Amino acid sequence: MQAAQANRLREGGRIDRSRPLKFSLNGKAYTGFAGDTLASALIANGVGLVERSFKLRRPRGIFGSGAEEPNVIVQVGEGAEAQPGLPATRVELRDGLIAHTARGWPSVRFDIGAINDLFGRILGAGFYYKTFMYPRSWWKYYESAIRRSTGFGRAPAASDPDAYEHRNAHCDVLVAGGGPAGLMAALVAAKSGARVILADDGTEFGGSLLACGEDVAGAPAADWIAGIVAELGEQPDCVLLPRGAVLGYHDHDFLTIAERCDSGEPVERGLHPPVRERLWRIRAKRVILAQGGFERPLAFCNNDRPGVMLASAVSTYIHRYAVLPGRRAVVFTNNDSAYRTALDLAVAGAAVAAIVDSRPGGGGELAIRARDLGIPVLQGRVVCDVTGRHRVKGVSVAEWSGDSWENISKTAHFDCDLLAVSGGWSPAVHLHSQAGGQLDWSEAQLCFLPSRARQCHDSAGAGNGKQSLGDCLIDGLRAGTEAVAKLGLTPIAIEAPDAGSAREAPIEALWRVPAEKEADRCLKQFIDFQNDTTVADIRLAVREGYRNVEHVKRYTALGFGTDQGKLGNINGMAVLADVLGKTIPEVGTTTFRPVYTPVRFGTVAGESVGALYDPVRQTALHEWHEAVGAPMEVVGQWHRPWYFPRDGEDLHTAVARECLAVRNSVGAMDASTLGKIDARGPDVVKFLERIYTHNVGRMKVGRCAYGIMLGEDGMVMDDGVMARLGENHFYLTTTTGGAAGVLNWLESWLQTEWPELEVYLTSLTEHFSTIALAGPNSRNLLEKLGCDIPLDRESFPFLTVRAANLAGMPVQLFRVSFSGELAFEINIGSHLALQMWRKVMDAGREFDIIAYGTETMHVLRAEKGFIIVGQETDGSVTPVDLGMNWLLSKEKDFLGKRSLARPDCLREDRKQLVGLLSSDQRTVLPEGTQLIEQTACGVLETRPVPMCGHVTSSYFSPSLGHPIALALVAGGRARKGDNVFAALPGREPLPVEVVSPAFYDPKGERQNV
Amino acid sequence: MSESTSRRHVETGVLENRGFLNLRLDPHKEKAVKAAEQILGQAVPLVSNTYGSGEHRVYWLGPDEWLIETDAGDVVALENELAMALAGSSAAINDVSGGYVALRIVGADARTVLAKGCTLDLHPPEFRPGRCARTRLARTTILLAADGEPDSYTIIAARSFTDYLRRWLAHAAEK
Amino acid sequence: MLLIECPWCGPRAETEFSYGGEAGITRPRDPDALSDAEWADYLFCRSNPRGNHRELWNHAHGCRRWFGVERDTVTYRISRSFELYPAAVPETDAALQSGPDNSNGGD
Repeated sequence: MQAAQANRLREGGRIDRSRPLKFSLNGKAYTGFAGDTLASALIANGVGLVERSFKLRRPRGIFGSGAEEPNVIVQVGEGAEAQPGLPATRVELRDGLIAHTARGWPSVRFDIGAINDLFGRILGAGFYYKTFMYPRSWWKYYESAIRRSTGFGRAPAASDPDAYEHRNAHCDVLVAGGGPAGLMAALVAAKSGARVILADDGTEFGGSLLACGEDVAGAPAADWIAGIVAELGEQPDCVLLPRGAVLGYHDHDFLTIAERCDSGEPVERGLHPPVRERLWRIRAKRVILAQGGFERPLAFCNNDRPGVMLASAVSTYIHRYAVLPGRRAVVFTNNDSAYRTALDLAVAGAAVAAIVDSRPGGGGELAIRARDLGIPVLQGRVVCDVTGRHRVKGVSVAEWSGDSWENISKTAHFDCDLLAVSGGWSPAVHLHSQAGGQLDWSEAQLCFLPSRARQCHDSAGAGNGKQSLGDCLIDGLRAGTEAVAKLGLTPIAIEAPDAGSAREAPIEALWRVPAEKEADRCLKQFIDFQNDTTVADIRLAVREGYRNVEHVKRYTALGFGTDQGKLGNINGMAVLADVLGKTIPEVGTTTFRPVYTPVRFGTVAGESVGALYDPVRQTALHEWHEAVGAPMEVVGQWHRPWYFPRDGEDLHTAVARECLAVRNSVGAMDASTLGKIDARGPDVVKFLERIYTHNVGRMKVGRCAYGIMLGEDGMVMDDGVMARLGENHFYLTTTTGGAAGVLNWLESWLQTEWPELEVYLTSLTEHFSTIALAGPNSRNLLEKLGCDIPLDRESFPFLTVRAANLAGMPVQLFRVSFSGELAFEINIGSHLALQMWRKVMDAGREFDIIAYGTETMHVLRAEKGFIIVGQETDGSVTPVDLGMNWLLSKEKDFLGKRSLARPDCLREDRKQLVGLLSSDQRTVLPEGTQLIEQTACGVLETRPVPMCGHVTSSYFSPSLGHPIALALVAGGRARKGDNVFAALPGREPLPVEVVSPAFYDPKGERQNV
Repeated sequence: MSESTSRRHVETGVLENRGFLNLRLDPHKEKAVKAAEQILGQAVPLVSNTYGSGEHRVYWLGPDEWLIETDAGDVVALENELAMALAGSSAAINDVSGGYVALRIVGADARTVLAKGCTLDLHPPEFRPGRCARTRLARTTILLAADGEPDSYTIIAARSFTDYLRRWLAHAAEK
Repeated sequence: MLLIECPWCGPRAETEFSYGGEAGITRPRDPDALSDAEWADYLFCRSNPRGNHRELWNHAHGCRRWFGVERDTVTYRISRSFELYPAAVPETDAALQSGPDNSNGGD
């Protein structure tokens, strides 16, 4: 049992010792301090073994200190607030924090799944696919068992109680990364007058400066950072976003940043919970990428044991969090940077047993300092194995010949509880690559460096391959100055502050340490810790024929974890290159895609949840419909009344009542959602002749017509009534769903094809509300309302339009019918519509008027065989298929006409619109039912069953007393009287008779009275 | 303006009794433009994304399209006068009063609230008084105008989306 | 998200636009004179280049104008936007450029 925070240093660090915080991991209580991450607090408490690995269930501890952490992925919070998949290194500690690891059953220390580790040799890449193939039908059982044992946490079952938001922003210069280079770049840009946004994933700015003991401008780094941040804060147009992870660099310099707004304090959620996370959507003129670099591990046997850590992480824990991750350390490196960690350890009070440097010539200036402190430095040596299972106990060291595949033998052993490793540094080129920038391999620095940019970005600092602090500061200043100049501003002159730099010896290419026995014993040499991808897996993939890095990635799962290969990708590519006998640039990198770090679904969704998920469009009469309790049907974004139940009626009963009321007296419907377009101009007739299939020019002023529009492919695109209001003035209506699209489409013809036509189109969809009055008493109702024009059949015949004053209000009255009854449509300004509707309902009481909804409208039109575009049509139906030849003018060209003469459109076995009657007089066929050919005795003649069509609309007809359906049937018009069969789930196919689609009043006499 | 206040320093409300006319006109037909200006008593703005104010506000919607905002009571008379003045010049004038609702959003945080749902750069030098733009706000299309006073914007929204938009604004103003 | 330069409204976010396919596809003057193959070519065949592509966009949520864009289909870089049938635009922009004082708006 460790004492509380036994590994905490007495002084230093960016933590607040006056603010102790309680937290728990897997139910066990600990304390840490404000300023800690969950990872640093766990190390402070001496928790070494924290998690089990994904596949092999090997014991794992904290390996890194930031976004690269592969091992300790926790679930934070409980219940609805729980958030899975977070690396402990990015979880800010707060009081009462509850965290759980994803694996380890019954406990992390004793995990039953650890038996997998014993079978590591057979659990190689592709194991699951190869092993659980047979018998094939059993995969569904295998899969559920395998799935249960994987994953990084559990998705909460309840909906997220937190609030999220989006924020759009524009800036001249976006600086991603607030380390030494980023701060310098932001400073020069902001002081030169640019609008700057500076974002950093960390809780405070400073980046690597927070994790080193160096001075800047002769003062402790922290003081210098505070000064710069304060200066930036004073600039008028500088936005500082700490806790802001730049997630993606998208097209045209559009970047997304997830800003964690959570203060860590408990919150009262109430009606308006505070924003937990904000997604910034930024359009930048210039972007400076200064996200630093990631240290690489080295591949040797058991390189994943708890107690093996990145050297830079060890330094970070010491300097930033005042935590000493080990008492007796070995440092293993192929470059100079890890010497700094050895010095940090020694200064913090740890014993450094040895620095194992693979380079025969050893390190530069830092190596001299290490020797001065009495640290043994072994050159030309490598760590080849690690002892200890739940915690590093010691390391084996061997001589290194420079050949990765030649067996080596151990020459020394060092006891230690911490192994700090460094395999060199890779600049964080992710955003540069997302933006389409190229990468160049540097043989001197052994890393990919950002080269040619595709968008308006530049890289700076460690992200640009700069290694010393001084170089990073200078490079940040350069990038900021250049960005300002490119914006056309005058950069102000700033000098880079003094900072230490040490002469360094070059890095050595060491990607994989040979094993002690046979060269193939690389099963425990981990490349991608999170996915348990080993050197052996990559070798296996190559042996099985994989050559392309993208394929090897997918076969071995290299780089697929929550860290997205930040730790292991370059090592993996280097090993692959080695195995293939190629160079690293020849092998190349896998594709970098957003997002850079994991992001909450809530952040992606922003405000668009619940009532704001999608706009609800309401008609001007919505208030009335709601007051009478009409259920709504969602049509596009519109909410339309579906039916108007009385006294607890269900849909069926209400619709039957509404239908009969319209057929027998009068009903009113809100038809306001139809698209409406005012079309005028000297060339409007010429234009509409090309758009509609009928002869528009022959329409007299005051006439209406049913018109259809075809796509150039000859298929029905939209339909609606259109009216001629004046010589050069038309009023067009479209379907509800087609309103916006049709207007854009008409404009496209006017603007891109026929600019010589002088025609103006204006949408009146929102301006006009439409009240449809249908039924034999509709004329009487209008008369009762008080109308200033004669309404008799001769003065106001079917398919005409009149401007009128109705009930004291100006309206356009259309005599059109979508029900087959005598009917009128009142078009009235939406600001007056509710008033008119109320008057209609009042005056209609004498005629027992009813309001009817979309369902009754559908039944009434189906009884007449009237189509609905999008229901009877699906983009593959011509007007001929629908029996609308009468609408197709022979005297003129119109859009789509030529296509109707293509051989496929002339086939006689095309699906054609027909009516269907169920033979049992009872069954309402489900819409979408497939129609099949079958003999009367039910024996299928051929297989597969010949299919001949499908049901497009189907209702029970209250007026006729039996079900009716519209359908598209191959060669249907010639098959009237035939039986086809409806394939019904769980039933014998039902014979249905092919009939005319006009079920009710086929001669159309009722609408003409 | 009926007002609502919120956690942010911002107030939103509906501008009552606004009427709207849509005007389509070829800007190259100088005579017609002059005739319209004579009736309106003010210039028809020919510069993209600007509006003119006087007795009415005349917003540029497109190179041959304007929205005239005026008192609801004056719409019919203004429409008739414009129609007469423009007769024979193939212009189109439509009363669209039923189609729009004007909202005003005022306050130090108005720009921040709008930025939650609008991709325009609303920074004052870019979007200053006299500027207007048809654009997106949340999931709707609006006409946005920077008013004469600082931190004040007019939103002209399609009527059917108004309820959604007011909810969205209220929500955005609470954060 | 693309930033598309509308010839009238300037650069705007892609969400304000709708795409109209390849530019420069001209509707045949006399469709009936075309063979089925020629008609199908007009209807369905597009150049689909790797690289520079002239295409139509509509500023659907802005000024409602259709215009042309030259966009690289590999890099998505837009090299220019253009009016399809440019007409002389009345010259008044200078007044606006001189600053907010001269703007014809504000109340």
